Amino acid sequence: MILGAARGVYYVATMLLFGGSAFETLLRAKLPVITPLRWQSLRWAVLILALLAALAWLGLAARQMADRLDGQILARTATDTLFGQIFLLRLVSLLGLTLLMTFRRCRKLAVALAALALALPAATSHAAQASPAGFIAIGATLDGVHLLACGFWIGGLAVLAMLFRRKEPNIHLALSLFSDGAIVAVMLLVMTGLINAASILLGHGTPAPLYLGVLGTKLALVAVMLGLAAINRFRLMPRAYDSMIPRNAALELGLGLTVVMLAGALGHLQPVL
Amino acid sequence: MKKFVLLLLLTSSPAFAHAKLVGYDPAANASVKSPTMIKLKFSESLEPAFSTASLSDSAGKILPVPKSVGGATITLLPIGLKPGAYHVNWQAVGHDTHKLSGSFVFKVIP
Repeated sequence: MILGAARGVYYVATMLLFGGSAFETLLRAKLPVITPLRWQSLRWAVLILALLAALAWLGLAARQMADRLDGQILARTATDTLFGQIFLLRLVSLLGLTLLMTFRRCRKLAVALAALALALPAATSHAAQASPAGFIAIGATLDGVHLLACGFWIGGLAVLAMLFRRKEPNIHLALSLFSDGAIVAVMLLVMTGLINAASILLGHGTPAPLYLGVLGTKLALVAVMLGLAAINRFRLMPRAYDSMIPRNAALELGLGLTVVMLAGALGHLQPVL
Repeated sequence: MKKFVLLLLLTSSPAFAHAKLVGYDPAANASVKSPTMIKLKFSESLEPAFSTASLSDSAGKILPVPKSVGGATITLLPIGLKPGAYHVNWQAVGHDTHKLSGSFVFKVIP
């Protein structure tokens, strides 16, 4: 379960890094009227969390594979397994992001590196292993798109929460911009999620009850999130501004972070008996 | 788009998402003449660094047997097995880092 938690924390951190940076870059480009956010210290905290979670994930996965953990096992895992090689690429992406954040350069490249750090684990996911006819790239791509779409939604909500907090006078413009991107992200999220779930569960054997239970909880929370997003978009936003929007968005963000932690646990559970 | 999704679902290969043993030769509990190759086929590609199999005799002694792990298969190459019961113990780790293990028995007849 600790491995599932490490995976969940990694996803939460990289989603905040990717989605937050992507939506912030979009805000700077499309809405210069909004003063850029000052969330450097929070970004550093999230980046450090991502690095620590990545290291914990490596160590716990190595122990799971070898039943013990020492320097040799760790080195073998990092260099001789696909998971380890993907870990090294993730580490390079996060270290690259560290450099860019230190020198405050190339925002778009920072978004790309955060996207890589978030999407790369898809190559060793359940969806990748359950790819049609063994073509790992199909499942890995779908899962990567799933993670990025979720990242944009969660990270964008976090940026909106910061704008609400500082009582941004042009918040309705930011809401409208986020809404346009979030609709595309949610469509991609639902579509890839359905395909992934079908390819993982529609095999020979019986779906594992625990896996189904966690998946069902995750889907129920996503349904509530979609309901809140729809209320915000189609009922509250047309009134220009409504005091319920910040509350709903905060609730949506909280549910989103819970969903991501559940997704981390799902990656650790056996889907089919 | 709908056609693409349908195609993906229809062409799905058996999906376990953990490396499960799906075929082996000799079969479990089979009585065979001394085999020169024991093949274990899994549901997905394995991590060679942490996947292995061993062969032991009825007394539990592990026999030195050349082995190889490639793709979704573990192969053992025994030479001159004497009549008796043999245990194959395996451990399979998939790219998702999950480990499964198991064993089966076969019998060598004169």
